[in-house]
Amino acid sequence: MKPNRDLPALLGILAVLALAALLPLAASEYWIGVGISLAMWIALTQSWAVLSALSGYISLGHVVFYGLGSYVVVATWERLPLAASLPLAACASALFAFVIGLPVLRVRGPYFVILSFGVAELVKYVLIAVEAAQGNASRLILGAPGLETLYALLLGLAALATLLAGAIRMTRLGQGLRAIREDEEAAETLGVPVTRYKLAALVLSAAIPGAVGGVMALRSTYFEPGQVFDPMISFSMIAMVIIGGGDDLRGPVIGAVLLSLISEFLWASAPQLYMIILGALLCAFVLFVPDGLCGRLLRVRTQ
Amino acid sequence: MTTARRKFIVSLIAAFGLAWAFSSSTALAQAAKPVRIGFSIAKTGIFAAAAPSQLNAYELWREQVNARGGLEIGKQKRTVEFVMYDDQSNPAQAAKIYEKLITDDKVDLLLAPWGTPMHVAVAPVLERLRFPMVGNTAASVKVRDLKPGNIWFTTAAIPDRIGRELAAMLKANGVRSAALLTNVLPFGKEIKGYLEPALKQAGIQIKVNEEYPPDIKDMTAMLAKVKQAAPDAVLALSYPGDSAIYVRQAKELGIGAKFQFVMIGPAMDFFPKALGSAANDIVTVGEWSPARNARAKGFHDAYLSKFKEKPDYLDSSLAYMSCEILEQAVKSAGLDKARLRDAISKGSFETINGAVRFKGVENTVTKTGFLQLQSGEPQLVWPAAEATAKFRPKSSW
Amino acid sequence: MIETLASGQLLFAALAAGATYALVALGLNLVYGTMRLLNVTHGDLVMLGGYAAYWCFTLAGISPLLALPGIALGAAALGSAAYHGLFRRMLGTTAAAARLESNSLLLFFGVSIIIQNVAALAFTATPRGYEYLSEVHRFGNIALTGNRLAALLVAAALLAAILAFLRLHIFGLALRGLIERREGAAVVGVDIDRVQHASFTLGFGSAAVAGALLSMTEQVSPFAGFPYTIAAFVVVIMGGLGSIGGGMIAALLLGLLETYGVALTSSNYRSILLYGVFVLVLLTRPQGLFGRRAIVR
Repeated sequence: MKPNRDLPALLGILAVLALAALLPLAASEYWIGVGISLAMWIALTQSWAVLSALSGYISLGHVVFYGLGSYVVVATWERLPLAASLPLAACASALFAFVIGLPVLRVRGPYFVILSFGVAELVKYVLIAVEAAQGNASRLILGAPGLETLYALLLGLAALATLLAGAIRMTRLGQGLRAIREDEEAAETLGVPVTRYKLAALVLSAAIPGAVGGVMALRSTYFEPGQVFDPMISFSMIAMVIIGGGDDLRGPVIGAVLLSLISEFLWASAPQLYMIILGALLCAFVLFVPDGLCGRLLRVRTQ
Repeated sequence: MTTARRKFIVSLIAAFGLAWAFSSSTALAQAAKPVRIGFSIAKTGIFAAAAPSQLNAYELWREQVNARGGLEIGKQKRTVEFVMYDDQSNPAQAAKIYEKLITDDKVDLLLAPWGTPMHVAVAPVLERLRFPMVGNTAASVKVRDLKPGNIWFTTAAIPDRIGRELAAMLKANGVRSAALLTNVLPFGKEIKGYLEPALKQAGIQIKVNEEYPPDIKDMTAMLAKVKQAAPDAVLALSYPGDSAIYVRQAKELGIGAKFQFVMIGPAMDFFPKALGSAANDIVTVGEWSPARNARAKGFHDAYLSKFKEKPDYLDSSLAYMSCEILEQAVKSAGLDKARLRDAISKGSFETINGAVRFKGVENTVTKTGFLQLQSGEPQLVWPAAEATAKFRPKSSW
Repeated sequence: MIETLASGQLLFAALAAGATYALVALGLNLVYGTMRLLNVTHGDLVMLGGYAAYWCFTLAGISPLLALPGIALGAAALGSAAYHGLFRRMLGTTAAAARLESNSLLLFFGVSIIIQNVAALAFTATPRGYEYLSEVHRFGNIALTGNRLAALLVAAALLAAILAFLRLHIFGLALRGLIERREGAAVVGVDIDRVQHASFTLGFGSAAVAGALLSMTEQVSPFAGFPYTIAAFVVVIMGGLGSIGGGMIAALLLGLLETYGVALTSSNYRSILLYGVFVLVLLTRPQGLFGRRAIVR
C-alpha cells in the first residue's frame, strides 16, 4: 500500500518543483532569495528524513554534513570549478558519514540523538581550530555565481533529494529501515542486514546536505565555521519534518513551506520569536500530533 | 452667457486654479521626500557593548544634517531617515540584512555596520548588487583583496601598519623585551601576525607569548607568568572586556613594565572612569584627537553635549568620518550609484581627521597612530609629526 | 612548561572547575537516576541561575553568595512545578520504547530552545558580567581571585552536605535506593512519587546554584547553557549511573582534564576537549549507560 502512495506524491512534488523553476522570470532578486531558502530546506529535510524518519535514528547533528560541504567548496574556491567542487562536497560528507557510521550507529535511542549533536559540535570546534591555525577567522568568496544559478542548483538538489527519498521508500532498503524503526532486534532476527542498512541510510542522507552546504556557501559568500555549523539548522530540519509528517514524502515539503513562511515575516525583526515559535510547534507536535500534518490529513481522509 | 453664469465659471476656474497651485506646491514639498539610509548595527550580542560608539556618531550626524535642512543632493535638500536593523553581532545575519535593505527596502544609501567581521561579510553583497558603501570600523589586510568600487575603509589602523608602527615606537622608546598577550578574535590575531616579525626585526625579545579566548574572565595565571618574566613592555592585543580585566589584574599583581599597550578600550569614555589611576599612561590604537582641527573639536563638543560622554576616539571618529565623506560625495554626485562610486574613489574629502583620499579601498592620507591616556585624556603620541603630547613611561598604577 | 604544570595555580583552577561541574552534574544525575530522563534543558537552568544572580547583584546590590538560598529555592519551586505539571503525567504514559525516548529528548530540546530564546528576548543576547570579589589574593606565588575561591568553597561545601544527606538521612537513602533498583525500592515501601519529586527539586536547585556561582567568574548569556548540559552528561555517564560519589570524581577528572589540557595546548581547545570526551564516552558505551536497563519493549 505504501509504495503506491509514494509514487504519486513523488511525481506531484517533482511537478511543483519544475513549476518553481519559472520563478526567476517573474520575481525580484529578493523573492529569488526566498525561493533559494525554501529549496534549501526541502533538500535538507528530505535527506534527513531518509535516515531519521525511516529508521528512527533521529540525528540532531545533521548540520555537520552541511557544514563539511560548505567548507569543501570554500576551501577549494579559487582552485576548483564548481562542477568539481560541489560533487566533491557531497562525496566528502558521504565519506565522513561512512567513516563515523559504524561506531556511531551502534548507539541507540536518545543517546544517538545527543551523540549526533556532540559529533557536530566537535567537528565545528576542530574546524575552527584548523582554520585558526592557518590564520583564518573567516573566509570570503568573491565572484560567486548569481542568485538565479544558485536557485537552479538548489531546486535541482531538492528534486534529487525528493527522488532519492521516494526511491528508497519504495525499495527493500526503505522497508528494512522501517522494520528497524519498529523493532531493531526483531528485524535482525528476521534477516534484515541491520548494520548495512543503517550505514547506507546515513551515507545517503549525508551526501545531498553536503552539496547544499556548498551552494549555500556561495549564497552567503562568508564562511565562518562557528556560524555555518549552527545547531539551529539541525533543529529546524527536525522541526520541519515532524511538523509536516515524517512518514510521507510530502511531509518535509509541507513543513519546510510552513516554517519558511513564518520565518519570512520574522527573521529580520524578531528572530528569537521565530525560534520560540519553532520550539513551541515542535513540542506541540511531538506531544499531540506525532505523525505530523500529513499523518493527520491522511487520517482525516481515510475516516 | 449671463453675468451670473460667467461669474460662476470664473470663480470655478479660479477655484480650480487655486487648488491646482496649492496641490502642486504640496507636490513640490512632497517631492522632497526623505532620503533613506540603511544599515545594520550590533544592538545585541557580543559586540553590543562596542557598537554604541558608532551608532551615536551616526545619530549625531543625522541630527546635524537635518538641522541644516537636510542632505544636499544636487540642488535639493532632503531630510535623512535611517532604516536600521539589529544584526545581533552575527555577520551572516548582517549580510542578509544588507541584501534586504538593497533589494526589498530599496534604500537610497547605505552606512556601514560595526566591526571587521560584519564589513567583510557584507562586502560581497555590495559587490554583487553594485551598491557603494563607505566602511569605517573595520581593519584587516584582507579588505585590500576586495575590489574597489563598492566599499572603502576610512581607518588607518590596518594590522600590518600597526605591527610596523608599534615596533617602531617601542624601539624609539628603548624597549628591549616584551610580553605579548593576544585575544584570538581576528583583529588581534592579525596584528600579532605582523607584530611578531616586526619585533624580531627591531631586536625586541618576546619573553611571554600567550593567546586567550574572547570570553576570558581571569588572567591571573597568564599575568603571573608575565610578572615573573619582567619585560620592558606588555602588549595586550585585547578588546574592551578583556582590556579592563588586564588593567585591573595587572594592577593587582603589580606588573611594572614601563610601556603598556592595550589594543582597544582606552580610547573609549568609560575606560579611565572605570579604572581610575590604573589606566594612566596606557597606550592604545587611535589616530584622532579633538585637537586635530576645528571640525574635530566641534564634533567632540557636540557629541559630549548630546550623549553626556566623550566620543570614542577610535570608532566614533571613524564612523563620523564615513558620514562626512558620504555627505560630500552625495552633494556632488547625487544618488546615482555609478557617479557616487566615481566621486568616492577619486575625490578628496575634508573630515574631522583632516583630509581623506582613497587609493583602491584604503585611506592613504591618514597615518597610523597611537594614543596614550595622560591624566584621563587620550593624547596622540605617535607619529611624532602628528603628536599632541609626548610619550610618558608608565610609572605607577 | 613543567613549572606551569606543577604550579598550584593550575591545580586550584582545576579544582574550582571540577567542583562546579560536580554541582552542575549532580542535578542531572539525580533526575536521570530516578526517572531515566535525559534532561537536555539542564544547562539552561544553570544559565537562569546565573541571570538571577546577575540581576540580584546589579539591580539590588545583593551579593550572589547571599542570594544563593533564594535562587536555590526559586529553582526548586520551578522543579516542583515542572514535576507535578508535566513530568509525572509524561512518565505515566510514556512506554520505555527507545523511539519514544528519542522523541522525549526532542521535546526537551524544544523546551530548551524556547527557554534560551525567551531569555534572549527578555535579557537580550548581550553577555552580562559583573565585578564581585575580584581582588587578587596571593598565597606564595599563586594568585587567586576571591570569586573563584569563594565558588570553590561554596561548591565543595554544598557537595559535601548533599553527599552526607544521601548517605545518612533516610530520605537520601531512599533516593539512592530508587536510583539503584527501582522495583526493589517500591517493594521496601519507598514512596516513589515523593522521592522523584525530591530529586527534581534538588536537581533544579543545585543547577541554579552552580549557575549563580559561575556568574561570578564567567559572563552569562542566553545560549551559554549548552556546554554545561554536555559537561553534565559527560560526568554522569563517566561516573556511572546511580553513583553520586562516582559522578563527583568524574567531575573532578573533567575539571583536571580541561584545565591541564588547555594549559598544555591553548584555550582554543577547551571546547574540543569537552566535546571530544563527550563523543568518546558515548561511543564506548553504546547502551548509553547500563545494559541492565536495556531497552524494554
